[in-house]
Amino acid sequence: MSLIHIENLTKHFKILNRREGLRGAFRDLFSGDYRTVEAVAGISFDIEPGEIVGYIGPNGAGKSTTIKMMTGILKPTGGILQVNGLVPYDNRIRQAQTMGVVFGQRTQLWWDLPVIESFRIMKEIYKVDQKMFDRHMDMFNELVGLKALYSQQVRTLSLGQRMLCDISASFLHNPQVVFLDEPTIGLDISVKAKIRSVIQQLNREHNTTIILTTHDLGDVEALCQRIIIIDKGKILYDGDIKRVHALFGAYRTLKLQIDDFTEATLRTLTEKLSGRFGAGHGITVAETEESWTDVTIDQARTPLSDVLSFVMSSFAVEDVRIVEISMENVVRKVYDGALK
Amino acid sequence: MHSLKDYLRLYFIIETQYIKARMQYRADFLISSIGMFFSSLATLGIFWVIFHSIPDLAGWSFMQLVFIYGFYMIAISPMQILFDHIWQIRFHVQQGTFLKYYFRPLNMMFYYMSEMFDSKGLTQLAAGIVVLIYASIQLDLSWTLSRVALLLLTLFSASLVQISITVLAGCAAFWVLDAYPVLGLAWRLREFAPYPMNIFDGAFRFTFTFIIPLGFVAFYPSQLFLQPEEVSSLVYFSPLVGIGLFALTYWVWTKGVNSYTGTGS
Amino acid sequence: MKAYLAMMRGAYMIGLVYRFGFLFSIAGNLIYMSITYFLWRSIYQDRETLRGLTFDETYIYVALGSAVFILLKTYVDWQMSYDIREGMVAIYLTKPLDLQLYELFTSLGFALHALTTVTLSTFLLLIFVFHIEIPLGIGLLLFPFSLVLAYLVSFCFDYFIGLLAFYTESVWGLSITKEVIITVLSGALIPLQFFPEVIRKILLWLPFQAIYYTPLTMVAKPNLGWETFLPMLGIQLFWVAALFALTRLFYNQAVKVLRISGG
Repeated sequence: MSLIHIENLTKHFKILNRREGLRGAFRDLFSGDYRTVEAVAGISFDIEPGEIVGYIGPNGAGKSTTIKMMTGILKPTGGILQVNGLVPYDNRIRQAQTMGVVFGQRTQLWWDLPVIESFRIMKEIYKVDQKMFDRHMDMFNELVGLKALYSQQVRTLSLGQRMLCDISASFLHNPQVVFLDEPTIGLDISVKAKIRSVIQQLNREHNTTIILTTHDLGDVEALCQRIIIIDKGKILYDGDIKRVHALFGAYRTLKLQIDDFTEATLRTLTEKLSGRFGAGHGITVAETEESWTDVTIDQARTPLSDVLSFVMSSFAVEDVRIVEISMENVVRKVYDGALK
Repeated sequence: MHSLKDYLRLYFIIETQYIKARMQYRADFLISSIGMFFSSLATLGIFWVIFHSIPDLAGWSFMQLVFIYGFYMIAISPMQILFDHIWQIRFHVQQGTFLKYYFRPLNMMFYYMSEMFDSKGLTQLAAGIVVLIYASIQLDLSWTLSRVALLLLTLFSASLVQISITVLAGCAAFWVLDAYPVLGLAWRLREFAPYPMNIFDGAFRFTFTFIIPLGFVAFYPSQLFLQPEEVSSLVYFSPLVGIGLFALTYWVWTKGVNSYTGTGS
Repeated sequence: MKAYLAMMRGAYMIGLVYRFGFLFSIAGNLIYMSITYFLWRSIYQDRETLRGLTFDETYIYVALGSAVFILLKTYVDWQMSYDIREGMVAIYLTKPLDLQLYELFTSLGFALHALTTVTLSTFLLLIFVFHIEIPLGIGLLLFPFSLVLAYLVSFCFDYFIGLLAFYTESVWGLSITKEVIITVLSGALIPLQFFPEVIRKILLWLPFQAIYYTPLTMVAKPNLGWETFLPMLGIQLFWVAALFALTRLFYNQAVKVLRISGG
């Protein structure tokens, strides 16, 4: 029996078609004009104990909705959802005892209190016995240097410190599954690395299942053995990370701000690139917000440096940025059959 | 999951920590307590001024009104001290941070309310006790053990009425975007709780007795002690009103919590 | 000057957005007016006049008192403490703006909104629902001016509390203390005539009566004539000038401290 069993899970929302203005607002109160949004449109997967699963997809894909159902917040519209044999929505409090949750943005700790007091309160809430408490606190201290932070108020911690505390706290009561939502958001590289290493060690300690939702592909690469990609409420891919890794690693996006940018520039750029690099160059060009142009390059086929020097010699480029491929682009490529 | 004893113990642990943390802001603690003390006595001050010019108000003497006022101050204190977090609910709901309250193995109302403990409300409670005792001495009221028990019971249910009215108003935030005015209105209403109900006639008296039972926060329960012989049967319902109203409030809260899905997909 | 007017307009528009709130403010006001109606009717049960005021006069005073109360609540103290906490003050200091004027005009925008909604509706309710006649008199003419002066006095007090927020972390405590002092001592809830003689004499010397007692008297007893009203206006003007000067001094001091401690 899997730890998490999901079969044909669906969630529909009824959204009111809102009208403009004050009069519209009044009429809305009596309106029956709804449309149905299928946030989750029939997904199925099983997760075994000890797995670290990356659950990724673009914004609005249905990730948060699935997580909310798994944690017992939202009631599914249809399908089977069981966590540890229980139906989460009907057993919120029992369920909460066996899981840990970390929000990227908001802390689960008590803002005005010293760190150690938050942990002590959680000891009471989750009924953690003294021995386990001491053992875990020692472990947290080894991993993140928690003792040094004991007397500091949570609100005075840096984002990185706070995240490490939140993550530790989510493991305090030895949960069976921990949900991590954007655990490295807004943090610099070295802190990210630290957090990823801590998560790995905590997973190993008690074979805790971890479900990771994130937009940071670095997180995914470092931690997950398995990836589930969701978009528009359906699962696009569920399997080993190795197959998808090729997608991430090779691609880079060159963000350019071109002087005197017009609609024609985009076309000219595409033509010139084809001219220079031949067909099958694997380069896509797109315009994004505020006159930035995205040039996405498959490094397996065309080196970035070549493209960069060519573009800069052919166009008046004001500003350049190089970024890893975005989640949206990964999903687009999966749609386009990159994994077939 | 957790027994009542667990919850009490947990509450004690959380709030002692909070008081410790707040007391670090010593100036604020002191000034707020003083401010609270004076603001809670403001309406009483108005009564005092009025009674300078008239001997009685709708058949009530000044000291009787002082008794009702003391009762009122004690009855509204639990709301002030324990449920103060309701004022923030629209922020949490709008910004999605309310989600965090779903994740712990705790009753959500308990968890949410336990995050704020308004220690300056204790000043109001103390002032109320003093005022009540003072008035009852001046009125020469007799207290037996059973009467004291009755007093505690009616204070308890009166406080439930106040808590319910305010929390119910706050629950509007689950469904309406700009729900603050509902709370604001409920708060303004509470100022009128120490007023004697017989200044109202007809529709208003009905409203404040049955629809928004302000009368049960101070006036009706006080009758049991001020005019025990002339008490109408209505008054004996006081404890039921408190408990019933709170049950309703909790039901609405649960409905709100279940319908809230947070922001974003 | 244009910049300040623009801010005022902006604040007015923000007020418009909260339509729900505006309805509830009016509802709340209606309830207040009704309850105080009953209260004072009880008080006036067996009498024509009390302390030199008829029921109508007292009721006009008290009913408008609540509308004026909403109007004169500037929230500047809260706004400033928020701005300081969010580090916004540093931004103001680097712009060609005078902080005091900035806060004044922003709050005026909100006040204008309250005026056109709550105050106006209270007048209408008073006349058409409660059937109270407001006698015509000089006082009514002078009322708007008095209201403006009253607003400025109230603003100065709130601004002062906001400045105190520079030094302390406690804006709630200070704000509520200020509010209680003003509410009780200014005749906001009850005409000063009702206070015991000795206390009343003292209160007339304090600036607080310039916020409520003066404008409300003009509208409750508009026929008192120039001889009474002109000096009252004069006193209001005096307090406006004095308080602006004082808060200005305090402001300069506070800004020095702010510049040293880092904004």
